[in-house]
Amino acid sequence: MSSVLLLLGFVGVLLLALLAWVLRDPRKFANPDDDLASKEELGRHHVTYFPQVRQAIGAEDFAFLASRGLPKLTNRVRKERRRIALAYLACLRADFLKLWRLARVIASMSPQVGAAQEFARLRLGLAFSLRYEIIRIKFFFGIAPLPELGSLSEVVSRLSVRLETAMKNLGESAALASKLTSSLHDGRGLDTP
Amino acid sequence: MLAFCSVSAFPLYVRWIWACSVLAQLLVLALLLLKGNFRKLPFFTTYVGLNLCQAALIYIMLTYWHPGNNSSTDRIVSWVSEAATLVVQALATTELLRLVLNPYRGIWGLAWRILAGISSVVVIFVVIDALRNFDWAIVVADRGYHLTFATAVIVWLLFIRYYAVVVPPAYKLLLGGFCFYSCMTILINTVIQAIWYRNNPYMEPVWQAVTIMSFAIVQVVWAAALRRPLPVEAPRQNVDSSSLYFGVSPVINEQLRLLNERLMRLWKLEERPH
Repeated sequence: MSSVLLLLGFVGVLLLALLAWVLRDPRKFANPDDDLASKEELGRHHVTYFPQVRQAIGAEDFAFLASRGLPKLTNRVRKERRRIALAYLACLRADFLKLWRLARVIASMSPQVGAAQEFARLRLGLAFSLRYEIIRIKFFFGIAPLPELGSLSEVVSRLSVRLETAMKNLGESAALASKLTSSLHDGRGLDTP
Repeated sequence: MLAFCSVSAFPLYVRWIWACSVLAQLLVLALLLLKGNFRKLPFFTTYVGLNLCQAALIYIMLTYWHPGNNSSTDRIVSWVSEAATLVVQALATTELLRLVLNPYRGIWGLAWRILAGISSVVVIFVVIDALRNFDWAIVVADRGYHLTFATAVIVWLLFIRYYAVVVPPAYKLLLGGFCFYSCMTILINTVIQAIWYRNNPYMEPVWQAVTIMSFAIVQVVWAAALRRPLPVEAPRQNVDSSSLYFGVSPVINEQLRLLNERLMRLWKLEERPH
């Protein structure tokens, strides 16, 4: 069998798999953990909890416990607080995805769309997801680099504020509002990338 | 569809599968006409009708005109009718995509540009493949068409999914049916070409049987999709000007880029030895 035929066979199978994936209903297969709708309804952003998270994973508590000669307790506390930090990181990702999806909804409603803008955002989304997964794994095993986590939160927060202002300015478009609401609340697009 | 390879000497089981396929096509056509869907999908209706005409033409040719004679005229008539249905298939698919993406002008415009680029690459690949396999030129060309077609439809569907465009299930099934059949044709042609040799007596009937069967499956799916009238088009939800997009989109992208940079720094910080 020639390499071209092998390639064609592979492409055929790949296209069939892709077809099955694109035709499935994303709402049916959405991960309940990724369901942003309920979180969005609360009308708050996870970045606002950063001071509490900072305190939870701050080095002072660990130093204090270590100085009192309680290594077991120190380790337990470290583990628990690392879990909190991981949950916080996941919530940051949820904020990122929400904003990313909002940008796509705006694009879908615009009469003109810039290819460069769209590709840049797709690339950013893919890069974010990849890095997030790597950092999450490292976070799981390593020590939390707190200052950087804080700056990450700031960016998400700033972006949220800017988008909210932009959307407020566009409040007169009833169709836009209804479309955004329905798109944000039905949980679609969460599984991309 | 029976004209896919040869119009002569069909075994009984191929004729049965063919008859089932024709019945399914008749059902699809009846549903299109009875439910009034033909008004919304004129090209799709033409495609189904043309397939039935092709089947009738080949049946007459096979039974009355040149029974048992595998002449070049038969082959030419078969392949020309096949080419005509493939052209109408492309038009019917465009019609479906147009209905789905009509309210999304920006996405429609962007997708067309990307699709033109991707299709050009696939066509170049197909031409190279056809030049290398001159003996199999018609098979390669047919597979090439389906490869281009399936890639294009899947790119469209990816776009639709990425931008969270709401697609009524009936349209999804119709588009999925076209794409499934093209994918199956690619696989069938490739496997047949790879496994069997030209003069193998079992090659053509098996080829015909699996091809017609996959087409019959698609007809059944289409009949299920068309059992109810197609949904009324959603009202246009576009914003009136592109200033929103060009105002907000760069801001979002810049912030997302910044977020990525911070994430990268977080990563690099972790890579440092503690």
